Amino acid sequence: MALASPASAPGIYAGVANVIAAVMLLLEFGMLRQALARDQVRLYAAQSALISVLAVVIAADRNLPDLYALAGLSAALKVVTVPLVLRRLLRGTVGDEEAPGVAGSQAVTPATAVLAGIVLAAFGFFSFGALGIRSPAAPPTALSIAAAMVLMAFGLMIVRRDVASQAIGFLSLENAISLAALVVAAGLPLILETAFLFDLLVAVVVFGMLIRAHHSRAESLSTADLTRLRG
Amino acid sequence: MSAALPIPVIQLLQVLTVAVAAPVLTGVIAKVEARLQGRRGPRVLQPYYDLAKLFRKEALAPQTASWFFLAAPVIAVAAYLTIPLLIPVLTSYGLPLGYMGDILGGGFLLALASFVVATAALETGDPYAQLGSSRTKTFSAIAEPVVLFVVFTVALLTGTDLPYALAATVRSSAGQVIRPAHLLASAALFMVILAETGRIPVETHTGTNEFGMIEEARAFEHSGPYFALLKWGSELKQLILYTILANVFLAPWGLASTQQIGAIILAILALLAKAAAVGCVVAVIDNSFAKLRLFKITEFVAGAFLLAVLGVFTLYLGGG
Repeated sequence: MALASPASAPGIYAGVANVIAAVMLLLEFGMLRQALARDQVRLYAAQSALISVLAVVIAADRNLPDLYALAGLSAALKVVTVPLVLRRLLRGTVGDEEAPGVAGSQAVTPATAVLAGIVLAAFGFFSFGALGIRSPAAPPTALSIAAAMVLMAFGLMIVRRDVASQAIGFLSLENAISLAALVVAAGLPLILETAFLFDLLVAVVVFGMLIRAHHSRAESLSTADLTRLRG
Repeated sequence: MSAALPIPVIQLLQVLTVAVAAPVLTGVIAKVEARLQGRRGPRVLQPYYDLAKLFRKEALAPQTASWFFLAAPVIAVAAYLTIPLLIPVLTSYGLPLGYMGDILGGGFLLALASFVVATAALETGDPYAQLGSSRTKTFSAIAEPVVLFVVFTVALLTGTDLPYALAATVRSSAGQVIRPAHLLASAALFMVILAETGRIPVETHTGTNEFGMIEEARAFEHSGPYFALLKWGSELKQLILYTILANVFLAPWGLASTQQIGAIILAILALLAKAAAVGCVVAVIDNSFAKLRLFKITEFVAGAFLLAVLGVFTLYLGGG
């Protein structure tokens, strides 16, 4: 019996890049769903580790030794330093380690949040797919997944009412943009990439100060207290 | 060892392999689980002794029950024994009856078996049996869309929805294995299998606590040979689902590509090894996670749905 010919596979390199991108998107969904700030930070670290792995894969495939350095630098910064700093910041504010932290800060129920996330991701997917950006380096799917992740990160910042989750959302937004940058412009000069990474460090410091300031004034991490102006 | 078996014999062997090997798989999982907990555990062949004991016992039925109560276990086992005709159990080439139904056909048979057992449980008037069938139907209604999306993935990948075609596609190149659509669909299917075979994190498999029961509670009023058929039926379902996962999605290697006796025997051994490997993974999961609260099960299945939907998305973008 004659079977229809199978859909052509994109090849091993593109397959690995797409799988890493898809797992990063799944971790983004995990952050949306996760109730504990500590576990959100852990998911962020895992996502950052994946982007370093992707950098190594791209470096090996297209002979870009610069990218190895970038992967190491990015891992040191985003897998180790930023999560450590975030944890230190949160330890002072949410009480002991076991404190629920950001639980209950969801503006909508987790199921609704995930469904909304699927819709957002679909919009990101198909709008970028329709643009038809083709670069010799880029598997188009990974680029569309990066677009979906950007929208999901915005969604995460919107549906959570606490500063910690919003900071995580912002940082994972940076991860999404790094993914897009890696896929589209892998050959970017190392100095520029490094500059972007250190921008991130500035963002972490600013967020840390904001979290501290907000917590010392409002005695909570919730942004619900900020809706009313006080004279 | 080079004699060729006639096709009808191979077809029959597919059913026999599943029918005979199903209880031992349950035994292996129970043994591995006990080992991981530091117990010696029951013999691997214990499920056979259980079935033999039950087949010798007297059968009783509630007074309110009709003939359907007794017919249901037989119909369920008949449905389960039909499915191995449709899926690649031993051979990589399609056997004549293999094109009788596609993945949806197999899904309908699984659903039919589950439906008759649930209906029989409703006839008894036992609150726990009714609770079990009501919960089973509720949760399988949520799992259904996941399976549909997995089928969509298969259809987009192969242009058909025949299990043989997907297995051939996966075998064709390494690129077909590591594409996200294939991995996401396989993961979603695995989560559905955990839910459908009543394993942690959805249900404790060997519990006696009725409040946590889903599938196990349905057979409360059956006894003797009918209870044995229901037990054997759920063991058959487990092996069939593992076979679909291993031989169609994850590892369609080791199947016989000829009609030689040696190749067929190798295929039988390979199937047993693959099913045992999946069983070991399930046993580890059983031991490492807690059972979810009943209302959290929907979230578990929603996770599987997310995986399946993302799989279809990546395929639509081309290249996924």
